[in-house]
Amino acid sequence: MSVPLTEKPNAENTPKSSSAGVIINGHYAPPPQDKDGKIWIRTSALIQGSPQELYDIWRNVEFIPSWQEEIISVIATGEKTSHWAMKSGDKTIEWDSEVLADEPGKRIAWRSIGGESENAGEVIFEPAPSGRGTIATVLQEFRMGKLASAWETFVGRNPKQAVIENLRHFKAFAETGEIPRAQGSSHGDRGVIGGMKESVYGEKIPTPPGPNQPVS
Amino acid sequence: MKAVCWMGKSKVETLSVPDPTLLNPHDAIIKVTKTAICGSDLHLYDGFIPTMESGDILGHEFMGIVEEVGKDVTNLKRGDRVVVPFTIACGNCAFCKKQVWAACDNTNANAHLMEAAYGYSGSGLFGYSHMMGGYAGGQAQYVRVPFANVGPLRIESDLPDEKVLFLSDIFPTGYMAAENAQIQPGDTVAVWGCGPVGQFAIASAFMLGAARVIAIDRLPERLEMARSIGAITVDYSEQDVDVLTALKDLTAGTGPDSCIDAVGLEAHSAELQGVYDAVKTTLMMETDRPIVLRQAIQAVRKGGTLSVPGVYGGLLDKVPFGAAFGKGITMKMGQTNMHKYMKPLLERIEQGQIDPSYIISHRITLEQAPEMYKIWRDKKDNVTKIVIDPWASAFNQEQLPTEPEDRSA
Ligand SMILES: NC(=O)c1ccc[n+]([C@@H]2O[C@H](COP(=O)([O-])OP(=O)(O)OC[C@H]3O[C@@H](n4cnc5c(N)ncnc54)[C@H](O)[C@@H]3O)[C@@H](O)[C@H]2O)c1
Ligand SMILES: [Zn+2]
Ligand SMILES: [Zn+2]
Repeated sequence: MSVPLTEKPNAENTPKSSSAGVIINGHYAPPPQDKDGKIWIRTSALIQGSPQELYDIWRNVEFIPSWQEEIISVIATGEKTSHWAMKSGDKTIEWDSEVLADEPGKRIAWRSIGGESENAGEVIFEPAPSGRGTIATVLQEFRMGKLASAWETFVGRNPKQAVIENLRHFKAFAETGEIPRAQGSSHGDRGVIGGMKESVYGEKIPTPPGPNQPVS
Repeated sequence: MKAVCWMGKSKVETLSVPDPTLLNPHDAIIKVTKTAICGSDLHLYDGFIPTMESGDILGHEFMGIVEEVGKDVTNLKRGDRVVVPFTIACGNCAFCKKQVWAACDNTNANAHLMEAAYGYSGSGLFGYSHMMGGYAGGQAQYVRVPFANVGPLRIESDLPDEKVLFLSDIFPTGYMAAENAQIQPGDTVAVWGCGPVGQFAIASAFMLGAARVIAIDRLPERLEMARSIGAITVDYSEQDVDVLTALKDLTAGTGPDSCIDAVGLEAHSAELQGVYDAVKTTLMMETDRPIVLRQAIQAVRKGGTLSVPGVYGGLLDKVPFGAAFGKGITMKMGQTNMHKYMKPLLERIEQGQIDPSYIISHRITLEQAPEMYKIWRDKKDNVTKIVIDPWASAFNQEQLPTEPEDRSA
């Protein structure tokens, strides 16, 4: 049988399938749909940095409060376990987490193991086509519980958006060494409407400190 | 410090606000020596750009002296004299590396807002709404500049502020508009709008090899200014003038090789079309008034290029896309990739090829800014460009120089 196309000077080997289920049998598959009280989010970013460098930043659990929103502390409690605290408004919730899969330079998967949150997820780092950086893909699920509702008490961020924002912060930190920040900018009196807009636009959620000392 | 604040639609006030502080390791604080009001500020003043909050400090065209730098700033030190680009770029993301600086991934602190509106977020801008980052602007005595290793251009020579200030936006914007117009030597280029952006688009079109530039506006002082740098002018408001006919008449029936829309979403029109857009935008069925865009698509020659530096924000109605397709035209547009143009354009100024200060008509204090916003919007008082000295006091405003100042003084 003849091959219909032979001239593909820059084409790469087409993956039959990819991690986080984006490609299955050479065909795009949408993210998992929310069902039975479980919500899903899949998001990805192109980051200038090697998979290993990015893996190293992500795997350093105690550094996570520097780039994830509203996570006020993560303490390593074992080789694969950690204790998390999240503060949203004046509400704090805590849970334990364990690493399920740890492939240096490639992938980390985790799930909560008790406490006030039920969540599980994975992050995958893979080289982008043509050496254009690293694709970081996060797939995360939550069971709607206290965690999700604590997040949702804030206008402007639901847990899905928070995962998107956290990957954005991670990328900014990895690429520039800081997280862009407008909070703390000079301004005149906001008045009532200005203040309302700030919450609607999600500007009252503290920007993670990045390399700065967290403001307590 | 004193700063010009947006306090609602058509409401601008000069207020006393807290001084800026270093918030991130790559920040710098600049003491502003000159700043300007831009045509883009009118879109905020007139309420066309959403996500403004009362108290926002306006201004994205400014220069000054470095006052303080964050711990990771290595390119600048206290005392350096700099012009700051209005787009903020990180220098490290895939877009910055490709020189598409205005598309920087990492500088919009509210990227989610722009992502919701446009699919993807562009770079952060100074003093230009919360969806563009929520950064305080430079119509103030001091300003915080993030990613200061990447943006600010050091001015080593003793060129006066007024000759280099417009490297912060409108000169590069006019230049990129001309570059986007893909001008071939000998081409005829039509430019709608003879405001500051139009002026520099005309000048740059000549620099890039245009044989003829046709400039369209209705304000006599601006048309005069366009003629002074060599353009043929068309006053669209004159009785019996039809812009499309004029452009055919002036190009042997062929149409301009390139068209530049340096007007944007607040185009003015006395005709029925203008009323149509006014009604539709009031009813929120359309967000912009694309009168010039429609004309330019219609006017450009077959296979020609349309370059759009004029700002559009949202949904446009009755854009003749069939004509664009039918003639096979190319369209290029967007916020200016500032960082690519500042240095080469500074060199052109240093070599004396152009003195951008020719467009300045008004020199004012911060206190005068609120009334000048109104004059700027209404195009009164022969205004062509307003420059603010944030340290001039209201008391001796009569003593403000009317001629470009000598920096050694
Ligand atoms: N792309 C960018 O990065 C960038 C940067 C700066 C400014 N801009 C935009 O460029 C545009 C022009 O800026 P400016 O500072 O010169 O503003 P401006 O308001 O001073 O100038 C606009 C000019 O257009 C003229 N005009 C209005 N309706 C017209 C029509 N129907 N036909 C012909 N001319 C018409 C006006 O008389 C005026 O002279 C604005 O939309 C501004 O937001 C874009
Ligand atoms: Zn501007
Ligand atoms: Zn960038």
